[in-house]
Amino acid sequence: MSWARARAWLAALQERRAKLVGINRRNVTLVYPNNERRHFPIADDKLLAKEHFARAGVPTAKTLAVCEGLFAVRQTVQALEAHEHFVVKPATGSGGNGIVVVGSRLEAGGWQRAGGRVLTAAQLEKHLADVVFGAYSKVMDDKAFVEERVLPHEFFATLWADGLCDVRVITLEGEPLMCMVRVPTAESDGKANLHQGGLGIAVDLATGRTSRAVHRGRSIERHPETGLPLLGLELPCWAEVLEVARRAARSVPLGYLGVDVVCDRARGPLVLEINARPGLEIQNVNGKGLGPEVQRVEA
Amino acid sequence: MPSSHAHRIGWSIGALVLATVVLAGWKLYALGYSLADTLPLRRHVVTYELTLDGQGGDVRVRTFLPLSDPRQSISDEQNASPGLHFSSEIDGLNRVATWTGGDVPDGTRVRFSFAVIPHQLRFELDRTLAVPRAYPASVSAYLRPEEDIQVDDPQILATLAKLGAGQGPVVDRLERIFGLTSGLPQRPFKGTTDALTALRLGEASCNGKSRLFVALARAAGIPARLVGGLILENVSKKTSHQWAEAYVGGHWVPFDSTNHHFAELPERYLTLYYGDEALFRHSADINFNYRFEITSSLVPSPRARASFRLFNVWAMFERLGLPFLLLRTLLMLPIGALVVVLFRNVVGLPTFGTFLPALIAAAANETGPAWGVVAVLIVVLVVSALRMLLQRLELLHSPTLAILLAGVTFTMLATALVSEQLGLMRLAHITLFPIAVLAITAERFYLSFTEHGLLSAAKELGGTLVVVLACNALMGSLALQILVIGFPEVLLLVVAANIYLGRWVGVRLSEYLRFRHLLFARSA
Repeated sequence: MSWARARAWLAALQERRAKLVGINRRNVTLVYPNNERRHFPIADDKLLAKEHFARAGVPTAKTLAVCEGLFAVRQTVQALEAHEHFVVKPATGSGGNGIVVVGSRLEAGGWQRAGGRVLTAAQLEKHLADVVFGAYSKVMDDKAFVEERVLPHEFFATLWADGLCDVRVITLEGEPLMCMVRVPTAESDGKANLHQGGLGIAVDLATGRTSRAVHRGRSIERHPETGLPLLGLELPCWAEVLEVARRAARSVPLGYLGVDVVCDRARGPLVLEINARPGLEIQNVNGKGLGPEVQRVEA
Repeated sequence: MPSSHAHRIGWSIGALVLATVVLAGWKLYALGYSLADTLPLRRHVVTYELTLDGQGGDVRVRTFLPLSDPRQSISDEQNASPGLHFSSEIDGLNRVATWTGGDVPDGTRVRFSFAVIPHQLRFELDRTLAVPRAYPASVSAYLRPEEDIQVDDPQILATLAKLGAGQGPVVDRLERIFGLTSGLPQRPFKGTTDALTALRLGEASCNGKSRLFVALARAAGIPARLVGGLILENVSKKTSHQWAEAYVGGHWVPFDSTNHHFAELPERYLTLYYGDEALFRHSADINFNYRFEITSSLVPSPRARASFRLFNVWAMFERLGLPFLLLRTLLMLPIGALVVVLFRNVVGLPTFGTFLPALIAAAANETGPAWGVVAVLIVVLVVSALRMLLQRLELLHSPTLAILLAGVTFTMLATALVSEQLGLMRLAHITLFPIAVLAITAERFYLSFTEHGLLSAAKELGGTLVVVLACNALMGSLALQILVIGFPEVLLLVVAANIYLGRWVGVRLSEYLRFRHLLFARSA
């Protein structure tokens, strides 16, 4: 390679690098100036976030029960006995850990979990105790809460039937920067985690159409398990999705967020949770860096 | 970023760097600190191991002990000679040690050890210096022939004439003589070779070459003498060494024909005696054997401790009887932590926690880095396996951790027992690892394993161990340790570096890989 070409290559690399937001840049220029540390608990504690959402009228999944300590475990299980579809979550868990999804009640007592396994009342008690004890979070004395199970809109149910696909919207000062749909797969064990084999599908902010899909770091056009085409699809109620993301972002005193939105078949877009340190993989999914989007909003 | 903030960062870094420069400069120029003092010295412990079969009779063994001089400082002498009387006295230039005893049984052992810190010696000789007409009486004695140094033998004189070493300046003559003696092929011959024999054979061992050098130098009118000693290397050996000294311009200047050292003596040479002497003499009719055991280690320069007067924590540790190692570890931890920060934020290597690698590196001081890594691996694997078994019991979190701690204790002791049996003494030092550090490492590994899978956990463990090795290499540097003890303000630079890195928004090395499709697009 000649000297001039090497310099041109380096200049091109530097230009592309300037558009990329790495972890250092995200923390120093986005998280620290926009998210005050004392407000982090709002994002980390899903119950606290829900309080903010409720006050601002942001639609969320209905909370069926809250278990705030070992003493409340039995009560919580009793309160759930009449329910068919619910999800148990730790208030401060992350990465989907400690989440138990229940699909139906069994005649003999207990429930059937998503994926088929049986959950007895005793097992549920044990799980709630674990959650409360902080087994799934980095804090002691976590809380467990139970939500009504969201039934996904057909569009998302087609992508993954057994659970939830969510739309991750990165917002800065309440304005969406970039977004993607995260699709669980059999390979990812039903988790919408891109590192474990879930799919990431980029959505054009303006049109709500899918423009790019990535599986394990590779750009794909079809679902690797079902063969369904993934590009050029139009997402349902896109304007509402962005609107609830905006409202959720503006309901909390945090400026830089990852807002996770799901589409319920009956209720439409609901906000699941927010993340004050959203990941950067969304850039690989969209095939472009966050830098120019940040400049667009900050300008 | 608001510009006032950027200013604050810039000023902080500037102030820290300035404070360091001012403090260090003040110490160097006003308080007489020397940077050279921060370099560690090599200290050798030499042990004479003598064994003698006295066959129940009277015994007398005589040898030489080294004397301290500007080139070598001798300390910590210890004699262990049960049943024998030990004495030492100065005899001319030498110090003679004698062990005597009556009714000495077979297999009697003598162990005499001392420590030596040697220095290199090198002379710049004046090439114009002429051979003086007369020498002081004490020096001119070194012009006379001796039994094995045949100065006035016709063959010696003829060789001198042939070399052209009988005329001209001193250095010129010595170069010609040295050219001959250092050019002789080496002969691994044990025993004495006199000057003439060395000349006739045209090859010689160290003592033959040295005697020939001395004979020729004396014949050329330059006083010269033999020197006997040891080459200090980390071994057990029987071989001693001989070289020569010539009197040039008022100094005794060393010349080693065997190892080609002209007017210089390397650091690792230990001088034991001057003159044509036997290193060991003993009464007849005993079986006598000897070995030299030499061990080397780096030690702080004694001058450093004396000169570091300000904020003298070193002397404080000595007064309180605290181990020097602890002081070194304390002062090096911030530097180790900076290494971890560099690996995490600039390289992007995943590790267990921010300071765990530095703490493990500090703990691995006794085992050494390689065995330290082995120790961590053993404990992490055993304790993670234990953790996996515990998972089946579905215990609550705190009791689980308490059981793991017991597991670490047991694993450490068992590893120490097994490695002692296998003779792996360094691994046996695993017991010096802080239990909590190992327990936390094992727990982190297990959590990472359950939450992100084996690959991710193995990556983090591997990253941790790589950073441990890097920390160990830097934190284990004695020169750096003494520098930080003498100039603790260096730690302000570490703080400044951390402030800079704390605002560094650059792309981590690992992110070049992660975002390779975005950074290295084919369209380029």
